[in-house]
Amino acid sequence: MNNYKPALDYYNYKNNNFNQPTFTKNENPSAIYDPYQGFIRGNMFPDLYNSYKTNQPYALKEDAFTYMDAFAFAAHDINLYLDIYPNDKDMIAAFSEYTLQADKLMEEYQSKYGPLVVSSKTNMVYPWAWDMEPWPWEN
Amino acid sequence: MWKYVKKLQYPVNIRKKDLKMAKYLYSQYGGPDSELSAALRYLEQRYTMPDDRGKALLTDIATEEIAHLEMIASMIYQLTKGATIEELKQAGMGGTFAQHDSALFLTDANGVPFTSAYTEASGDFIADLESDMAAEQRARATYEHLMDLTDDKDVLAPLAFLRQREVVHYQRFKELRNLYLKEKIQRKI
Repeated sequence: MNNYKPALDYYNYKNNNFNQPTFTKNENPSAIYDPYQGFIRGNMFPDLYNSYKTNQPYALKEDAFTYMDAFAFAAHDINLYLDIYPNDKDMIAAFSEYTLQADKLMEEYQSKYGPLVVSSKTNMVYPWAWDMEPWPWEN
Repeated sequence: MWKYVKKLQYPVNIRKKDLKMAKYLYSQYGGPDSELSAALRYLEQRYTMPDDRGKALLTDIATEEIAHLEMIASMIYQLTKGATIEELKQAGMGGTFAQHDSALFLTDANGVPFTSAYTEASGDFIADLESDMAAEQRARATYEHLMDLTDDKDVLAPLAFLRQREVVHYQRFKELRNLYLKEKIQRKI
């Protein structure tokens, strides 16, 4: 183990906005990250981002697979936001853009490496492509 | 209904075997504040939410939690892959081997089996959302403990991602609860 000591004092956390009782930057967030930056943080909303143990988010290789995951993640995080703020037009536009981009990247990935969903066109082949390795837990 | 996507929400590629860490990770697999508890509690509670915002939010967060359960399982799988019986014994996993071999049975980090008592559903949407806020905070705290227990970047990166998701979910539940209180929303029976 290193000499790291857990920070037990909530209020000395960097960016510990989510634990503040008066934090209200909910509707119309001041900004969102781009999908890659949001994905490596696990959070599309800079107003809400709160890191632990490291000041730098862990970088991921910037390849097509990461971008596919990143766009899907971006759309999903905005999806959760829109569930409770359904009238935010800018966010609906961002959701739509990222979803279309994620779908496009997923199509491209599947045509190269095989199906990610059973209903993929790349699964309508002989022999049955769905069984092809790898499964998600196998690295 | 649900559809399976044959990938993880965030990549898990662990190169170094670490049986002790795998054992600790069971806390988020079948423990009280695990991803499974979270997924099931939100699925239980969505039927008694007072409006579409609550039904949508609980459905979508529950779905994400199932994807997180798969990430935790993948981490345990990769951390224990190729372990010998001797290594399992040394890591305190001899009992796990005796009962389950290398199967991913649902227990917490101490081998206590999963129970639906970990989920909570009162039928009162404010009580439920406040309990969900607490559940997200407890899961965040657990992820911080898990991050304290390792220095392996392959393990830390997905843990940091999962911890951050608890922060976002907590905020969304809090916002929804505040909106319901502000708007004096009541559930139609």
